[in-house]
Amino acid sequence: MVERHVAIVEPSDNVATVLRDMQGGESIELNIDGETKTIEIAEDIGFGHKFAIQPIPNGETITKYGKSIGNATEDIEPGDRVHVHNVESNYGRGDLADDDQAKVVSE
Amino acid sequence: MNDNQFLGYERDDGSVGIRNHTVIVSTAPYANDTVKRAADIVEDAIPITHPLGRCQTKPDVFQTYRTLLGYATHPNTYGAVVVAHAGEIVDGDELAEDIAETGRPSDSVNIHREKGVMNALKRTVNSAQEIAQDASAQKRVPSDMSNLTFGINCATSDTTSGLCQHKATANAVWRLIDEHGGRGCFAETPEFFGGENELAERAVNDEVKQEILERVGHWDERLQATGYDVRGAQPTPDNMDGGLTTIEEKSLGALVKSGDGPIQDIIDYGAKIPRDSGMYIMDTPGHGAESVTGIGAGGAHFMVISTGQGHTLSNAVMPTIKITGNPGSAERVPEETDVDVSEALVGDESFEWATDQLWDEIVDVVNGKVTLSEALGESQFAIHRIGPST
Repeated sequence: MVERHVAIVEPSDNVATVLRDMQGGESIELNIDGETKTIEIAEDIGFGHKFAIQPIPNGETITKYGKSIGNATEDIEPGDRVHVHNVESNYGRGDLADDDQAKVVSE
Repeated sequence: MNDNQFLGYERDDGSVGIRNHTVIVSTAPYANDTVKRAADIVEDAIPITHPLGRCQTKPDVFQTYRTLLGYATHPNTYGAVVVAHAGEIVDGDELAEDIAETGRPSDSVNIHREKGVMNALKRTVNSAQEIAQDASAQKRVPSDMSNLTFGINCATSDTTSGLCQHKATANAVWRLIDEHGGRGCFAETPEFFGGENELAERAVNDEVKQEILERVGHWDERLQATGYDVRGAQPTPDNMDGGLTTIEEKSLGALVKSGDGPIQDIIDYGAKIPRDSGMYIMDTPGHGAESVTGIGAGGAHFMVISTGQGHTLSNAVMPTIKITGNPGSAERVPEETDVDVSEALVGDESFEWATDQLWDEIVDVVNGKVTLSEALGESQFAIHRIGPST
């Protein structure tokens, strides 16, 4: 049965939000853009946090609401938790301003 | 009275209030204690205190002045007493005159001129007492809902914000604009990062579109000029606990609360929100106390604070109605939750139901029902500053 406590905002998103606490090792069924897919949750994920629904290679865009919410800082597999430990923002990066990497990256 | 009306307090300047406050305004830190003491004595008087008003450069002086004037001449304000310390760059006499020009009773007290704080306190109390008593004699009368301005702000956002409560908030503000001819105002410019192009496309003309993009770019420049990474400051640690990973994710969720209708204009911090019906943006930081203070100065009658994790954020002059869609928050901080719509996110209710829950509460509050923050006497006041003190 398709898991109802998961929110995927736009079909093009590569992450989903959990609406209940999920346990590592849980296998859940998702409806992604009309197709049913089974994903195993890699680790415990608390209410409101996110996991990948597609492979996201290091440096690639994390997409939610159909738009960029930052870049992956490591290879991310489906079912992996996606949060501050493996995503970085493209805005307000004064720490990168010197090497001109802080240029605004818009959708 | 019909569905298009509420019971409000008519003002000489044409505005209509949903409250009838007497405010006591400090123009500088050195008058704050006199203001607080007077407000303790006079029943229901609201103290407006802050650390600014002296040793500021012109842009900050204007910003401080128009914010204070905004509260003293707010639709929900009946009259005001201004308390100055000595000769401040934010001039107390000028402020009192500008208040009087709107037809509101006002007085200007100056601690040096009164020869000390005790004399100043007595005069402040007596003036506020007289204003508050006159205010209490004014009756609510039926008024058109087109007079209302709906403020919107986020607070301790989490991933539920953009998925649930912001949708109900957006539906409610557009109901006021489209069905009743009212106004809406949202803010928090750095929280447009990542969604600024789509937001700018909603502008009514090219000039407003460019202005939105320029102001967003200006905030990114200000943050980069610090030489530090904004992460940790935005998203805040409580945002991250709630599942928000980057400022872009916070922004895209935050923008949901503004709906998708046209943007009439983007206005300066604390500036008066225009009278014409429609949606406006005020250029403020994402810092809630500062953005809410700005929107209050702009004259919003009430504010819906759409929160994820729950928040004490509130305002003394502009009542704040707090809505959450996070079932844990509604249980954890019940005294910060006016409207709980979590059943639309994790239960079987619809977003139309959530919108109606919020709308019914708004109608009650504009007609006089006190919000949880008002009942608790909770409020904050923080004017955003542009540059350094001198």
